[in-house]
Amino acid sequence: MKERELQIIIAPNGEVNLHIHGYKGPSCLEVVKLFEQIVGQVKSYEKSRAFYEPDEEVRFHIDQHQ
Amino acid sequence: MPCGGVCILTPVVVAAWPAFSAAVTAAAASLGYSVLAESVDIVSQGVEATNESNRRRVQLEIANSELVTNQLGRDQCISVTRGGVTVTFLRDARGHAQVRVDGAGSSEEALRAFGEELSQRVVQQYVYQRVMDELRVRQFLVVEEETKADHSIHLKVRRWEN
Repeated sequence: MKERELQIIIAPNGEVNLHIHGYKGPSCLEVVKLFEQIVGQVKSYEKSRAFYEPDEEVRFHIDQHQ
Repeated sequence: MPCGGVCILTPVVVAAWPAFSAAVTAAAASLGYSVLAESVDIVSQGVEATNESNRRRVQLEIANSELVTNQLGRDQCISVTRGGVTVTFLRDARGHAQVRVDGAGSSEEALRAFGEELSQRVVQQYVYQRVMDELRVRQFLVVEEETKADHSIHLKVRRWEN
């Protein structure tokens, strides 16, 4: 089981600061897209190191080939 | 735990009247306002009261807002009051959320500040409800929730996936 965690800060003016944990690779973008639908426009998005790591499905296939 | 990223989002309010008025009610309560009335007629009553007593009025608009409604609900509004100041939220002709702030004995700047503070809190409450509803549907579990002294709402949610 993979744990996904989101830390969400809703400022008094409604602006949302979203910290995404437990997602690797482009699956992180799915969370961003979800929040775009829920909240509104993305003002900024800073990818962490984990974004550039392969997500779990890709890694599984790599492991199978080795 | 690996981290995926940090994202900042600007809110856009696209709401049906019931969701919007619920956000107004919650925001008003958090700032010590009480709901005066929710109806169609209160707007005209408010105008008459303003003309009679020469009270000041300022009008604002909630940015990035669209109140979706059917023909019957077009003229709905909700008024809240605190310390002689009445704030009325309604849908304008373009479908945007308009805010009218009326009060005697307050400067226009003060009325504007009251209106902006309450409007921002309405947007915050609307976003909070949207986020909570959508995360519940997606089976996220709220593990922490706290409103800080600066009135920001902090949430931590988790989900386990196979």
